[in-house]
Amino acid sequence: MAQVSMTVNGKAASGDVEGRTLLVQFLRENLHLTGTHVGCDTSQCGACVVHVNGQAVKACTMLAAEAEGAEIRTIEGMANADGSLNTVQQAFQDHHGLQCGFCTPGMVMSASALLAENPNPTEAEIRAYLEGNICRCTGYHNIVKAIMAAAGQDVSKIAAE
Amino acid sequence: MPKDHGIGASPKRREDLRFLTGTGNYTDDINLYGQLYVHFLRSDVAHGRLNKVDTSDAAGMPGVVRIFTGDDFAGVGGLPCGWQVTDKHGQPMQEPGHPVLAQGKVRHVGDPIAAVVAESYEQARDAAEAIVLDIEELPAVIDMKAALKDGAPKVHDDLTSNLCYDWGFVEENKAATDAAFKTAAHVTTLELVNNRLVANPMEPRVAVGDYNRSTDESTLYTTSQNPHVIRLLMGAFVLGIPEHKLRVVAPDVGGGFGTKIFHYAEEAFCTFAARQLKRPVKWTSTRSEAFMSDAHGRDHVTKIELALDKDNNFVALRTETYANMGAYLSTFAPSVPTWLHGTLMAGNYRTPLIYVNVKAVFTNTVPVDAYRGAGRPEATYQLERVIDKAARELGVDPIKLRRQNFITQFPYATPVAVEYDTGNYVATMDKLEEIADLSGFEARRKASEAKGKLRGLGVNCYIEACGIAPSNLVGQLGARAGLYESATVRVNATGSISVMTGSHSHGQGHETAFPQVIAEMLGIDESMIEIVHGDTAKGPMGMGTYGSRSLAVGGSAMVRATEKIINKAKKIAAHLMEASDADIEVKDGKFHVAGTDKSVAWGDVTLAAYV
Repeated sequence: MAQVSMTVNGKAASGDVEGRTLLVQFLRENLHLTGTHVGCDTSQCGACVVHVNGQAVKACTMLAAEAEGAEIRTIEGMANADGSLNTVQQAFQDHHGLQCGFCTPGMVMSASALLAENPNPTEAEIRAYLEGNICRCTGYHNIVKAIMAAAGQDVSKIAAE
Repeated sequence: MPKDHGIGASPKRREDLRFLTGTGNYTDDINLYGQLYVHFLRSDVAHGRLNKVDTSDAAGMPGVVRIFTGDDFAGVGGLPCGWQVTDKHGQPMQEPGHPVLAQGKVRHVGDPIAAVVAESYEQARDAAEAIVLDIEELPAVIDMKAALKDGAPKVHDDLTSNLCYDWGFVEENKAATDAAFKTAAHVTTLELVNNRLVANPMEPRVAVGDYNRSTDESTLYTTSQNPHVIRLLMGAFVLGIPEHKLRVVAPDVGGGFGTKIFHYAEEAFCTFAARQLKRPVKWTSTRSEAFMSDAHGRDHVTKIELALDKDNNFVALRTETYANMGAYLSTFAPSVPTWLHGTLMAGNYRTPLIYVNVKAVFTNTVPVDAYRGAGRPEATYQLERVIDKAARELGVDPIKLRRQNFITQFPYATPVAVEYDTGNYVATMDKLEEIADLSGFEARRKASEAKGKLRGLGVNCYIEACGIAPSNLVGQLGARAGLYESATVRVNATGSISVMTGSHSHGQGHETAFPQVIAEMLGIDESMIEIVHGDTAKGPMGMGTYGSRSLAVGGSAMVRATEKIINKAKKIAAHLMEASDADIEVKDGKFHVAGTDKSVAWGDVTLAAYV
């Protein structure tokens, strides 16, 4: 066991972990931040995406110890200060970008990372960026539409899928 | 102008608020005080004799609380099957035992052999690696036709063969169907595979068993589409726990796609182990385990024959399907290639004679059960493909061949036991041709060819039987359950409403859609209505969500219950206004005396009902 310390959603967090403890385990089990999900444990599905020092990272494929000193943001830290949905979250609700909700935290975190890098992505750029996020319910169209809307693009002409 | 309220409105989903902020409550988010973790050691061979499971070294490893094997379940029931098919000779299907942990033999890769319960998940996994298995590997049967050959290795030694059932539908049609083939002007034959697949909801299956020593009550938290069905199957058939001592909770569920309908060994194990150890026991599937232990879908091999007369009218249809059951019968497996498949073989077409033969086969593979559409897409795929092939062989347009054979007179009794009450396939095909711009296809094809690309055109018709509900036919075809749905509509004193439904939402948005129905009936705001589901302690016995039945069947139950509420509320309103209850009308959340300006509000009536 070794102690790790990091900042999670703006607050200092620390705990004792084994060398093999994954970042996602530390978030879910030590910090009880269960919004970050594990869908595949093999770095394919993207349900576990969080931001590590501003970068989108699959938390099932990073050791907690590697996050020592890092600035972590999870889905629980995404809403506005008053608790209302932020722009990306609101766009997902407005455009029916989710159904069962299990992949959704990872989708929102990836979408936010994309928009930080590229504030006005094309549809093709959004689809390419979401390569590592799998959704089983929606068929992706409304997720892509939500992200375009979150970027301020007019999606009113795009047919509902 | 779209409505802003009730049926037809497009409200934003209320469940999204928790899903978008990471505050959903999925089963793996549930952690109980003193919780233990289980890791299942699974077979890595498809078929083998289990000579010895030596847990002596593993039992002493750090954190291990107890290791269970099949012997621990000797006095416990097996996983039951909820559907009994009767074969073409009138005999019931062969129904093998399905132990919670393997006993004597392993029958598919992933068959659980031992369960290590430890203080941490990592300790359980470490200890599982120290279990020494003596498995004598046996020849496995994977191919269905090979599995039915004389002398093939038997998946279940106590059964007469690997044949679960040989089903004829409708058996009385067989002779006439065969005769029609002999005199047909043309016969088209097609062999095809509806491939096996893995359902793979995003959320892996999870089970948390809990036991309360002071009340002798067990609780199972599980990723299920139908918690009441799990309570009944596990309580009555596996563990012998009566309903009043067993609660099953399926909270937010991250997609089902059919594979979370069924009762699984891991659910029974966690409930059983929690009672034995007097501590909560949790299992979370890995994705790899999901591939080996979630029921798979489809896996049919079919020969379909279509007989036509000299004018290209369909005169008879005959199919022979091999349906893979896998190594054990999953909860509803026998119904998929039969009731959910044979009854769909008429499609949209006037084919007077149809005979469907299905051989369900045990193999050394993961069990197969209902998956998205379950049997119906398999039926449609065969039928539509054989029609396309016939059109090619006869040199006729595939759309014209379909149109010529469409059912146009309704009601229409198919030769496969169902009656179509209404339909207009000609009009839908007209519309399809219009919106697909069929007449412009040749120009589009030429434009594609000019760019060195190929462009094709396919048309498919589909009759879907969904909204699975009680009927005489369901009973005749072997259902061991009534397939009804239930609802309790509870009006609180200040007028808010709690609706307890037997349907379960795992992405469908019931919490948003169902209040629209009740709001429409009462004329009150949807925000006053809460949907409660997924907990056997809160709602009435229900059958759950699958087969596109939640609104059709569960919604009907809610409507019937709400009608009772309205009738009772009218009496109270009549009393308050000193009128006759026959004169009371409900409009916009108020009860009016017809023909007068007298009214009382919904909240006045509900308060008067209580105080």
